[in-house]
Amino acid sequence: MTDFSPTILAFCCNWCSYAGADLAGVSRLQMPPNVHVVRVMCSASVKPEYVLKAISQGVDGVLVLGCHIGDCHYMTGNHRTAKRMPLVQRVLREVGIDERRLRLDWVSASEGEKFQKVVIEFVDEVTKLGPNPMRGVKF
Amino acid sequence: MPRIGVFICHCGNNIASVVGIEKLVEFAKALPGVVVAEHNLYSCSEEGLSSIRKSAEENKLDRIVVAACTPRTHEPLFRKTCEMAGINKYLFEFVSIREHCSWIHIKEADAATEKAKKLVAMGVAKAALLEPQRETESNVTPTAVVIGGGLTGLTAATSLVAQGIDTHLIEREGTLGGILKDIDIIGPEFKKTKELSDQLIKELKDSSKAHIHLDSRVTSSSGFIGNFELTVESKGKSEKIPAGAIILATGARELVPTGEYGCGSVPGVMTQLEFERRLAKGEVPKRAVFIQCVGSRQLGREYCSRVCCNTSLKNALRIVNALPDASVSIVHRDIMSYGTASEHIYRQASEKGVRFLRYGLERPATVIRKQNGLVVQVFDETIDEEIDIDTDVIVLATPMVSREDARDVGKLLKVPVDKYGFFLEAHVKLRPVEFSTDGVFICGSARWPSSVSECISQGMAAAAKASIPIRKGKVVVEAITSWADPDKCAACGSCVTSCPYEAIDIVEEESRRYAKVNETLCKGCGTCVAACPNDAMQQRGFTTRQLAAMIDALVKNALGET
Amino acid sequence: MKLAFEERGADYLLIMREEHGNVAPAMISKGESADSVRLDIPYQLVTILENIYPWLSKGKIAIITRRCDEKALAELVKRKYVDEKRIVKIGLACSEEQIKKCRCNDPVPSNVAVGEPHEGMKDDELALALSKRSPEDRFSFWVDQYKKCNKCFGCTLNCPVCFCDDDCVLEDRTFVAEPSVPPGLSFHMIRSFHMADKCIECGECERACPAEIPLLTMRKLLAKDMKEVFGFAPGDEKTVSPLNTTLEGEQLEDECDEC
Repeated sequence: MTDFSPTILAFCCNWCSYAGADLAGVSRLQMPPNVHVVRVMCSASVKPEYVLKAISQGVDGVLVLGCHIGDCHYMTGNHRTAKRMPLVQRVLREVGIDERRLRLDWVSASEGEKFQKVVIEFVDEVTKLGPNPMRGVKF
Repeated sequence: MPRIGVFICHCGNNIASVVGIEKLVEFAKALPGVVVAEHNLYSCSEEGLSSIRKSAEENKLDRIVVAACTPRTHEPLFRKTCEMAGINKYLFEFVSIREHCSWIHIKEADAATEKAKKLVAMGVAKAALLEPQRETESNVTPTAVVIGGGLTGLTAATSLVAQGIDTHLIEREGTLGGILKDIDIIGPEFKKTKELSDQLIKELKDSSKAHIHLDSRVTSSSGFIGNFELTVESKGKSEKIPAGAIILATGARELVPTGEYGCGSVPGVMTQLEFERRLAKGEVPKRAVFIQCVGSRQLGREYCSRVCCNTSLKNALRIVNALPDASVSIVHRDIMSYGTASEHIYRQASEKGVRFLRYGLERPATVIRKQNGLVVQVFDETIDEEIDIDTDVIVLATPMVSREDARDVGKLLKVPVDKYGFFLEAHVKLRPVEFSTDGVFICGSARWPSSVSECISQGMAAAAKASIPIRKGKVVVEAITSWADPDKCAACGSCVTSCPYEAIDIVEEESRRYAKVNETLCKGCGTCVAACPNDAMQQRGFTTRQLAAMIDALVKNALGET
Repeated sequence: MKLAFEERGADYLLIMREEHGNVAPAMISKGESADSVRLDIPYQLVTILENIYPWLSKGKIAIITRRCDEKALAELVKRKYVDEKRIVKIGLACSEEQIKKCRCNDPVPSNVAVGEPHEGMKDDELALALSKRSPEDRFSFWVDQYKKCNKCFGCTLNCPVCFCDDDCVLEDRTFVAEPSVPPGLSFHMIRSFHMADKCIECGECERACPAEIPLLTMRKLLAKDMKEVFGFAPGDEKTVSPLNTTLEGEQLEDECDEC
């Protein structure tokens, strides 16, 4: 259990969270190397299917990071994300997978420190949750 | 079969000191679709770029993956390189192994290298599925709008009209000038402010290209670079102004302390701007104490406001120049007078008898009222003693803070604001006067407390940048719009209701109903893609197959084959 | 008796009919004989309606609707698949036996023309039992169940609100990585998500499943989640899915006032 290092997928939106992640990099804010970022234009374009696919294939945690509510570059994009992700969490919960493996958060372009905080917290939480139960399952 | 070339950047030793470049190159060579994997010291240099071009031609590459800093810096540069090598610029993928890897895992070289491998694998998987795109062109409205009629806005506007560009200057108040109106003399040259502002205003008024709107506010903004539409309201009347570029020069304001040092209740204690007004009227005090860093460089407002020390030095010199026997002290926590001219007035002030006392954050000065004046009691850190200074006037040098409506303006133009309410530029070094949002520019103290000369340079810079799309006359709309496959689409309408721009309609063609995206309205957010239940809706450059391939690549390289 | 309902102006009546010993859905036109029609409708006539509606460009269609048919119809009307002005609903109240089979908690249609209304059931026993088990137990349970799936697509084809038909996203490899049978968990989780704001709990999926996977139970679990998270239940013509509105519940038409 102590050797377990989770594999985490993160979707970051071009205007806010990806820029925030860049700022964290520029500021040399150190964080655990478990998170792999996929750049999208808006958090609203993150299909629930991506999250469910990733979890189904053994990814231990998925982070979806968008702009703060009210600040979405595409107006109400992040409202859609805010509606979809809790439902994805419930789908995971019903099938017995801990819904904390999906985390939705808001990181603005100036919040390098918040990006670091979210990454550290999430890696910590997923490490405690242990490996994705799907890892031991072969369909 | 795609022919992918992977180019790993050392970025000097920014990446190479943490990530094992050679291991990464070997790994990349073995990825599906990769024909060649190379590395460069600085991929963005002329040498790096030409080596990529050469490799592309020699190896007949049709897709390029660069693993380096971040797409937000050099993606346009590499895309251009692709075009020069005969590859469609949308067949390029950027993997960040610096901001997202080497810089954040400095002490974990092995893990960082493994992560970089996965990131490159993901980038290659996406690149293999990229499709060439054709960009659509859009005409640019040959008009600029400058929001804010202070020094910065005036400079930007005059620069624009000097180029012959129709410029609308929107000013909230009834007169132009902003904070300049409150300042009489500007340092370090000791020029009369009025000369500067009058000259700028005259240039504008003399130009047929300048349209000044006083008592006006921008109440809504829509569109995109080259095709903005702003609604400006003035005295109950509303006007729509189409614009090709927007410059934000809304400035900042002086922090007015709430009671600190007796400000507001004790006569004789005032802010710097209030003191400026008195000096302008000729009210030169015989004794003055300037207290620096009131409200800045402390918890909650950690920044240095950069101009207050120079301002105090200027005003201190004004006092001793008018009254050589005047007693002037500057109580500070550091003197920030950077640059030759400012260093010169620091020395001058000292030579003319202005006293400098250093105090500490933990022990601020106190103000005591006496019958014949005020006393500033301060613990001087240099001599480790408490000093009492008799004075007539206490000037509090407070920082510039963002305007109360900065966040609202940000929301209006969809531009970001940092935690202090100052606007955030696209890149501090590479794009200092631009926002990430194309066509909107930032300059002056709205971005960060700036001196007069800095405001002027930035105003000119923003005007120069803003004139580019206007001069070109056309903008290219990035090919990241969405489209629905008419054969797959079930016309359920989910995309229609989720689009923030109402860019999608259900159309009927040949007895088949499907969703159609209006490409000029589509902004490329991809919300429709996530709403679509059966994968009919796709976003160019971010198709579901491409993203699914990235997930598969991560899973394969992190967890083994599934 | 049923013919009397054609006085409601219908040109066609969608119902079940017995012919040569077989009971099958039938579309009876006005004036046609209504011999041997059957009112013990075993499945969703709305699913049949959905398939033939594109071929009927004119005329009003009367359809025997149970409560779930009614709700399914509302979901189709919302998506403009069916014009509600052309539909005449003839309400059928489900028998106790039918209610038990579906564990139905909402069995009475808005107007009852046929059958005796009965009370719905409060709980799905399996759902209740599962709610008491640990996540690990529930995970094992569902994995074992879903491993039986052989991608017959009976669940999607028989579902009245599943409208993607031949273009179902679960058919290709983009989101379901497994190349053959059984498909992985993503197949079922994606279906759960897609159904969450549409499923009207008719139970056809479960009845169609040759592997006897308790699909209806999973649908009911998600229905409870939709109620908890959004206060939303599908089946109403006016209420837009919460997935298509802003956080304040506003639809696009209300929020965008820029043009």
